[in-house]
Parts: sequence; C-alpha cells; structure tokens
Amino acid sequence: MQTIVCQTTAAPALFTAEGMVGVIFLLTVTLVLTGAVIAVNAQRLVRAVAGLAICFTGLAGVYYFLLSPFLAMMQLLIYVGAVSILIAFGIMMADPEEKRGVGMKNRSPLAGPLAFSTGALMFAALTVLGLKTQWQVFPRQGTFDIKAVGMALLTTHSLVFELISIVLLLAIIGALVLAQRGRN
Amino acid sequence: MNGYWSDIFIGSKSLVTGLLITAREFFKPVVTEQYPYEVPTMTPLFRGHIELIGNEETGAPNCVVCGMCQRACPSECISLDGKKAEGGKGKVLISYMLDFTKCSLCGSCVESCNFNALRFSKEYNLASFDKNDFIMDLLKRLEDQNRCKQ
Amino acid sequence: MDTSIWRALFYLVGIMAFAGLNAAYLGWCERKGAARIQRRIGPCEAGYGGLWQPLADGLKLMSKQLLVPQGVDGIIFRLAPVLAMVPAITSMVVIPFSENIQARAMELSVLLLFALASLGMLAILLGGWASGNKYAIISSARAVSQNLAYEIPMLVTVITVVMISGSMNLREIAIDQQGGFWHWNIFRLENGHFLTMWISFIIFFICSVAETNRAPFDMAEAESELVAGFMTEYGSMGFGLFMMGEYLNIVVGACLTATLFLGGWDCPFGLTPGVWWFLIKIYVLIFTFIWIRWTYPRTQIYRLLNLSWKILIPFSLANLLITAALIKVF
Repeated sequence: MQTIVCQTTAAPALFTAEGMVGVIFLLTVTLVLTGAVIAVNAQRLVRAVAGLAICFTGLAGVYYFLLSPFLAMMQLLIYVGAVSILIAFGIMMADPEEKRGVGMKNRSPLAGPLAFSTGALMFAALTVLGLKTQWQVFPRQGTFDIKAVGMALLTTHSLVFELISIVLLLAIIGALVLAQRGRN
Repeated sequence: MNGYWSDIFIGSKSLVTGLLITAREFFKPVVTEQYPYEVPTMTPLFRGHIELIGNEETGAPNCVVCGMCQRACPSECISLDGKKAEGGKGKVLISYMLDFTKCSLCGSCVESCNFNALRFSKEYNLASFDKNDFIMDLLKRLEDQNRCKQ
Repeated sequence: MDTSIWRALFYLVGIMAFAGLNAAYLGWCERKGAARIQRRIGPCEAGYGGLWQPLADGLKLMSKQLLVPQGVDGIIFRLAPVLAMVPAITSMVVIPFSENIQARAMELSVLLLFALASLGMLAILLGGWASGNKYAIISSARAVSQNLAYEIPMLVTVITVVMISGSMNLREIAIDQQGGFWHWNIFRLENGHFLTMWISFIIFFICSVAETNRAPFDMAEAESELVAGFMTEYGSMGFGLFMMGEYLNIVVGACLTATLFLGGWDCPFGLTPGVWWFLIKIYVLIFTFIWIRWTYPRTQIYRLLNLSWKILIPFSLANLLITAALIKVF
C-alpha cells in the first residue's frame, strides 16, 4: 500500500509510476548526500545543523522506500523535529557569534590523512559487504499494523527497549547532576 | 501539592468566566463611531479655534478693536487692525488674523473680551497639507457665515 | 485506490485552493472577530464588509520589496518562510474531509502530522536565528522551548485516542466514531471513555493553541516585549508566508481536533454525514481559537512552561493510564 518498489532489471520509462518512484528515490538520496556535505563543510554551525536536518529528512525518505513508514515518520519526528532542533537550540544558547575555523590552526598533521583513511576504509568495507551479500527480496506486507510494532517492541525486542530506557534515564540523571553543579 | 488543585480549579473557572464575558460582548451592538460616515455633534463646551461673533441683525462683528485679545494672547497669534468708523464714534474692524499654528487653545482671548465678540467655534475637521491654511482670516469667516445664513 | 494522474492533480489544486483561501480569509475572520469582541466593526472599506481586504493585503505584501538586511544569513533567511508554509500545506494531504474526500489515507497519518508540525518549529528557529537580531533569537528560543514542552502532552493524549481506535489512520479513527455524538471520542459511552476523554480533549486543545503559537501562548511574537519576535526582520511576502503558515497550522490543528475527538465528518444526530459537518466543526474550532485569542492576555514564559510540565503532562499521563485500564477492564 505504501510504495511500489522497482524490481525490474531494465530501467523503466520516466513517465510511468515506476519511473517517478525512481526519480523520487534519487531525490531522497541526493537529499541525504547534500545534507551530509553541507553538515560537514558549513562554516556556520547553524547551517551545519540545517544540513543535518536535510540529511535526516532524506534518510526518512530512504526508510520509506525500505517499506518502513513507521521508522520514516519516527525519523522525521525525533531526528528532524527534536534532535536537530535541540542541537540548534544548544548552539544558539552557547555562542551567538561563531568563530570560524575553530581548532583548525594547531591540529596534528596526521589528522587529515587519518580521517580520510578511516572514511575510505569504512566506504570500502561497506561496498564489499554490499556487493558480497546475497540480497533477498522481502515480500511487500499488505498493510501496516501498529499493533505489530507494539507487539514486537514489547516482546521480541523488549530487552533492547528496556536498555534504551535505561540510557534515557541515565541521560536525565546526568542532566540533573550537571544542572545542579551549575547552580552551586 | 499545596494549592495545586485549587489553582487548577480557580484557574479554569476564571478562564471560563473570561470567555463568557467576551462571548457576551460579541453580540452587543457596536459602540465605535464610523467617523466619515457618521458625523459627531460637538458638545456645547467644545473648544475649537476662536471665531468672531456677528451682530444678530446686521451681521457686522461685535468687535470694537480694543485689542484686549491681542494683548491677552500668550503666544501672539492674534493680529487685528481697525480704522476710525465713518461718521460714528469708535473703530471698525478691517482685519482679524489668527495664526492657528501657534495657538494653544488656552482661551485667554475669549475670557478677556468684554464685548461678546469672540467665541470658540465648533470646527474639528482641521487638517491640511499646507501650513498657510492655518493662518485664518476670521473676518472673512464671519462674512462667509453671514452669507450662509441668508 | 485510484491512481490516475487526474486524481492527484485534482487534490493538489484543491488543497492549494483550500489552503490559500483559508490563509487569506482567516486573517479577515480574525480581524472581524476581534472587532466584534471589542465592539467595533472591523475591516469595512475594501468591498462589502471588507471582503476584499485579504486581496488588498496580499497585493500590498507582494508589491513590497523583499528586503534582506545586512548581516543576516541570506540563504536560511530566505528559506525559513517557505519552510514554515510547506509542512502546513503538506499536512492537508492526510486529512479526511469526508468519507470520500481524502488525498491519501495513510496508515500513519497521525504520526505524519506531528512529524510535519515539528518541521514548522524548525522554520521558526532557523528564521529567528538567521535574522541575526536579538529579539528574533530570544523569540526562537522561547518558541522552541514552548513547542517542545507542549508536544509531549499532545502526543500522550493522542496515544489515548489511538489506543481507543486501534489505528493511527485518521480515516479509520474517524470511521470508528461514526453514528452520533455518543460515539465521538470526546463523549464516547462505550467502555466509559467519556469519563476521561473530555480531559484529553481539553489538554489536546490547549496544546494545539500552544503549538500554533497563538495567544495567550504567543510568546514567540510578543509584540510588547520582542517587537515581532522571529518575524522582526521580515517584510513583504516573507512575513506573509509566516502569517499564512500560522493560519494554516490553525486549520490543521482544528482538522486534527475535529477528526480525533469530534467524529470527523459525522453528524451529531446521525443525519446526512458529509464534508459540511467536518467544515462546520473545524470552523467552530477556529472561531474558538479566535475567541480565546481576543479574551486572554499573554502569559509569562515561566507560567507557560509550568502549565505544561506541572499540569498538562501529569494529567495526560494519568489519563493515558486510566484509558488503558478502561480498555482492559471492559
């Protein structure tokens, strides 16, 4: 019901439903990449956050294509709607006049090559993994079922669910401790 | 928890009261005056700029050119001129200029006049693009009023 | 579902027209409503009863120069008004106006609406920051802390509705409430939900007033303290888009309230359900928004946050538990 996944080998014509789906998919991927590039390269921190928000929006689109609309909506709601906003909020509270190129002057000569090689290694590994894996096509599910998500969260993945709530609890306690220290 | 529930209760009650008041006002008639379409009638004590009072029969100004108003004016906005009356005694007014740009509507001129020759007009539509429009020839105004009366 | 291109085009044009007309004429309604409450006449010069006023305002805004002051972050400054407007229009896609009038009956439409609402918040934040103006930044900070605070009780109350209907599809939630007002979520007799759902409704309504930054929660554009808040540096159509976005958010909020709690397109007495009942409901709700705005003065930011954290959130959580218990017990 949600998306039509293109499974044909030949590229479909542009003005068919599949063709438009392909164009939209390319758009979402472009959004992810553009957002990521902006986030990394922006001079101003708030622009970087805006880039991050764009990237997250694109990612939500990708999730949607992966037949996971629930995750896509959560991505929008939590990452774009809360995480990006909190980061931007923090930046605005912290320093109104951002200093350009902070930490660029006395960096280690190894930093560039190291970062680059890490990135390249990661990319190579993921590429190899992607090419080697035998991808199997999952059948499209009929309708999305909110009950199924609830059941899965509270039975199959209940341990993960609880662990995440412990992480959140720790985060809250940490924030309280920090705030208390700031007050004294 | 002290006062928590009472805060909620009293707060909600006052919010509803407020809404009811505005709802009531919503259906009451309009109180504002739609100025260009509805012209207000001025109250008897309204103080516009001054104007001359004419004799009720002849229409000639009551002014005897004593100059009291000119002297009483703190901002020197009145300038008047008269000449010897032909035949009779006393003077006749030949010009009475009011510089309304300086006038603060204090009313000293009206108070100082002993001959019932000055009063406040009921004029309130005073707006112009030209400053010179506010240097008024009150004698001419009186003549215009007389013409309108006839 | 019919996938013809004409259907998509029809809905695109229809939604644009609905959004545009509402954004334009709610301004007029607001001014007329304010005037009536203050016992004035309101706009009356342009056309009969001032009905051409939105057109005149729009022409004025469009013919003004789009001024980008020095020292602002140009790109974000220009993009923020668009970002304020787009999610509001997009939200209309999933709103069920009647049984047969809905652009897309998405399964997760409730979630989608909230996701889009949080995008609108991003617009305020970025617009305020990009202006490079102290008032604008203070205003964005207020708007964000306010919206984050009110999103929590809002989502929690929505969960109660989702639990009762067993679906996140607005269409199914509305269908679930068909058949007279005693089936509506707010007065629902079944399982004794009427005991708590009216509290849910009130919490939801307060939150939607706060989420749309309307008075008495208009901390973001507190004229008396912050000039015009995040809109201080905006003129012409940049300001116009923010205003239209605000009014569209009100429309979306009213649609959501009507669908979640007031039975969607259902008639209270089971007669001739249809799109007109939905429209009547949303305009009554919108009138209530206007009524509230011209009744209450602006609150303080601290009180605003206290209201959310100390009253609305505990109440909505308790409500959630009671509703769950009612579903389980009966």
